[in-house]
Amino acid sequence: MRLGAAIAVAAIMLGASGVGAWQLAPPPADEAVHWREIAWPFPRDGWPAGRAFRCDGACAGAELYVRAKRGFCNCDRGVADDDEVDRVADIDLINPRFAAAAPGEAMGLGDMRGRARRYDLDMPDGARRAAIGVAVSRRCDLLVAAAQGRGEAGAMQRAALAFLQTQAMNQWIVAALDGR
Amino acid sequence: MFRRVATAGLVLVACSNPAHAQKQTIGAPPEASNMRLVGTSDLQARSAYQPTIHHQGDRWIAYIGHHGGTDDVPAPVNPMTGQAEPNGTSILDVTDPAHPKYLRHLPGQPGKYEAGGAQMVRICDGKSLPKADPNAVYMLRTFGGEAHEIWNVADPANPVLVTRLGGLKDTHKSWWECDTGMAYLVSGAPDWRTRRMTQVYDLSDPAHPQKIRDFGLPGQEPGSTGALPTELHGPISTGPAGNRVYFGYGTNKGGILQIVDREKLLNGPKEPTPDNLRFPEISRLPMSAFNGAHTTFPMLDMPIAEFAEDRDGKTRDIVMIVDEAILNECTEPRQMVWFADVTTEARPMMISSWTVAEASGKFCQRGGRFGAHSSNESMAPVYYKKIAFIAFFNAGVRALDIRDPYHPREIGYFIPSITEATDKRCIPIEGGERCKVAIQTNNVETDDRGYVYIVDRANTGLHILELTGPARAAAGLPRN
Repeated sequence: MRLGAAIAVAAIMLGASGVGAWQLAPPPADEAVHWREIAWPFPRDGWPAGRAFRCDGACAGAELYVRAKRGFCNCDRGVADDDEVDRVADIDLINPRFAAAAPGEAMGLGDMRGRARRYDLDMPDGARRAAIGVAVSRRCDLLVAAAQGRGEAGAMQRAALAFLQTQAMNQWIVAALDGR
Repeated sequence: MFRRVATAGLVLVACSNPAHAQKQTIGAPPEASNMRLVGTSDLQARSAYQPTIHHQGDRWIAYIGHHGGTDDVPAPVNPMTGQAEPNGTSILDVTDPAHPKYLRHLPGQPGKYEAGGAQMVRICDGKSLPKADPNAVYMLRTFGGEAHEIWNVADPANPVLVTRLGGLKDTHKSWWECDTGMAYLVSGAPDWRTRRMTQVYDLSDPAHPQKIRDFGLPGQEPGSTGALPTELHGPISTGPAGNRVYFGYGTNKGGILQIVDREKLLNGPKEPTPDNLRFPEISRLPMSAFNGAHTTFPMLDMPIAEFAEDRDGKTRDIVMIVDEAILNECTEPRQMVWFADVTTEARPMMISSWTVAEASGKFCQRGGRFGAHSSNESMAPVYYKKIAFIAFFNAGVRALDIRDPYHPREIGYFIPSITEATDKRCIPIEGGERCKVAIQTNNVETDDRGYVYIVDRANTGLHILELTGPARAAAGLPRN
């Protein structure tokens, strides 16, 4: 109940701020979601591991991966186009042969601006999954998130973005971008 | 009296044991070993990227590219004109290196930091280019991120614009073959998926550029999907004689050395399909995700003393790879210098690495970036395949004896003093940011006489240096 309220508040804040191109309508009560933290599932690469979560509830089975990439952004232009989202958003960690499902959209996460884009993934087991890549910038630093799941992309997208707007995640994001 | 003696003693200790200095202060002497300061220019307190030194008639001219301005001073005042001018290219007469004479500031694209200025510069004589005006001297430079420009700098105090190639993004460190005119321009073409790729141009007649092709790694071309390979930083060509172009991808992450057959690159199929992009490639050396390939400097057919008695493999083809540190105060993996043996071209192998010892100067605490950025790129005999100079940000410039590239060895260094013009470098901390002031030696170049030119990213200007003592002997230079 408290989580649902928090998501609703976050969604209202985003809508009121006018920064999000995506409107985050609060999910119906029977679609309440819970993101449970899991171990970072990818091998070490150029950036420190971030945090990973698995969704219970309306987006059951979906996974969300979030991390900071400090110094990896064009300091002046930010995340200006979809190529930048393709380049940085960690979709390649899930499957390097990703293909975009549609042009991305401008969005905001708190004070940070950037873009989000939907992808189709053909997994090695033959399954088809939807994915979302998010990249927003603060000066020369990036906050990236990737979500994947078998369910409907829009629901996963709304749930993931609402979770990223929670106070707890916001505090972690600020700390990660500060290198703490 | 005692206090004065004690103070003098402290100064003496500080000067004789500079390796343990942590924080630079205005008025303190430079830190040096086997390198000596010859002359300086403040470069009008503009953040500097790349110096190129050209023997022009009976003069030596330094062309120095600048980043954009800072938040505090977006367009410094040029005292020669009295005007605020966006950072561009500084042109100096360094014939007398002890007294550099500032000739001209040529403004660049308005904008701050990487968004403005004119970072890169290369020079070719018209008489060496096949179809150019033999009386001209041509300067190829970037104009911010949006264009490449060619100027006639036969009169370096009065450059004349010849050509502009615009409509680009993220132009950067290009290479120009002065004997053929072939140029490998680092650009961001609007339809490519990557910020930086190669546009090959025939600039043998700089007034009439001829596009040869676009080039990059498969996956970067227009219309491709999936993971995006690391973006280009810069190439170096050995020209028609060597028939190789060494491309460096990445700055501080996911570096790749790509060895390319120049003839196939220039004359092979040009449509940017994955197969056509793969066609001229001989091999790649992927690096750790922790390190990039800012500079890929070829040193081919090097005799290796240790292998002199071996029946095969006495000489080796070496590529020196220099990463670029981009984050302040050691908040990233160490960026350093690597040596790859590419003698068997299909199987290049990393053979050694080198870094400044952090503890030798507590460089992680000094402020700004600590790590490698670039090397000198002159292939003049005075230093080529013998001594390499590495710009190491707050550790200044480092001179390496590379005659045995399997065991590179430092033989000298110079860390300039900071000045009132030296700009701060900040890192985020809880509730704000913390700033420190330190030298940020960004690039280094040498001239045929053996002088070493270093420039500072934090606005401290140009320092002209020379080797002394054993380092000078290692280079085979006469005693000074």
